[in-house]
Amino acid sequence: MPVYNRERYVVSALRSLVRQRDATDLDIIVIDDGSTDGSAEAVRSFMGESACIRLFHQSNMGVAKARNAGLRQLPPGCEFVSFLDSDDISVAGRFKADLACFVAKPGLELTYSLMTLADRIDDETLEPTADSRTMTLRGISLGTAVFRRELIERTGQFDEAFEQSEDTDYLLRIFETGPNYALLDTVAIYYRRHGANATREHGDRLRNHLRAIHKSMRRRKADPSLREAPGIFELKSPANWQMM
Amino acid sequence: MRQPDVYAVASKDIVFESFDGDAVVLDLSTGKYFGFSDSGSGVWQALSSGVSAAALAETGAIASAELATFIARLLEFGLLAPADTAPNPLPGDLISQLAAAREPLSVDVHDDLADLIVVDPIHEVDEPLGWPAVKQAN
Repeated sequence: MPVYNRERYVVSALRSLVRQRDATDLDIIVIDDGSTDGSAEAVRSFMGESACIRLFHQSNMGVAKARNAGLRQLPPGCEFVSFLDSDDISVAGRFKADLACFVAKPGLELTYSLMTLADRIDDETLEPTADSRTMTLRGISLGTAVFRRELIERTGQFDEAFEQSEDTDYLLRIFETGPNYALLDTVAIYYRRHGANATREHGDRLRNHLRAIHKSMRRRKADPSLREAPGIFELKSPANWQMM
Repeated sequence: MRQPDVYAVASKDIVFESFDGDAVVLDLSTGKYFGFSDSGSGVWQALSSGVSAAALAETGAIASAELATFIARLLEFGLLAPADTAPNPLPGDLISQLAAAREPLSVDVHDDLADLIVVDPIHEVDEPLGWPAVKQAN
């Protein structure tokens, strides 16, 4: 979990993970990317309640480098890897459900689930409130994936040239190689829409996204064995809405 | 008399960037994205910035018939529309890029990321609510 100035949300994100300790032996790696607010203190105080969190600090270098710093901390015995952004919520029971798929299908390398965007989340129940707007889709989110460790090793680092859309680039790199994946119709994360989402500056966001697509096209041109990623990303609900 | 041969990007839903001379174009309304050969990238950059087709033909780097076919595809895809404006000059770096191009003019359309592009995460959000702009389908 990379964290940059999310003192308001980070403990909820961590709680959503820690409550799933019954599903697996969790090792939660938090990379504080040079936060200037109370994020690190908030994490540290919560660590008193849970021994499975490890906190590392770096000066502010951006999310791609923070994710790579986290990957470098994976312990030797780790079999599965997932990500959670510090303002999102891991849905109760998702690790249990995902890991059961890996048991049922030994060759499986990746589960990829749905995400629900929500603008109001109850920090006690860790569920969207009754009056929250929600939208459920299979989008770009590392948090909806559980990766077998070998797939992470094979894919390599996040491209640190990206200020954002490093997740798009990473997931396209993975899907292009044709991994053995399962698309699950369960919601794995609540993606919190709030005033400070990192992905709101439209010009930068668009340019980073176009760069990820460009890199994908260039890879496929250079290596025809790579493939497109059709049928993965889709809007699930509400079904009767469309983008303006 | 020559046909009007200046074009503009067809709508605000057509967004594009160039990376190391390679153009990539996205249609936010359909979620399709487009890639080009090296010569196609140069011609896209020229036409989308208001350089006339005639000026491109005059470089001698591209055959007129090939150029006309390529432009017809860009119009058909809804990426360009005829413009009623005076042409802009062809920049020197594009002339060199076109002269150095090795591949024939081509544009490829891809729709594997369509839902992703249409929905998330690149659309303008509905400020100040921070919600993807949505409308109810008919």
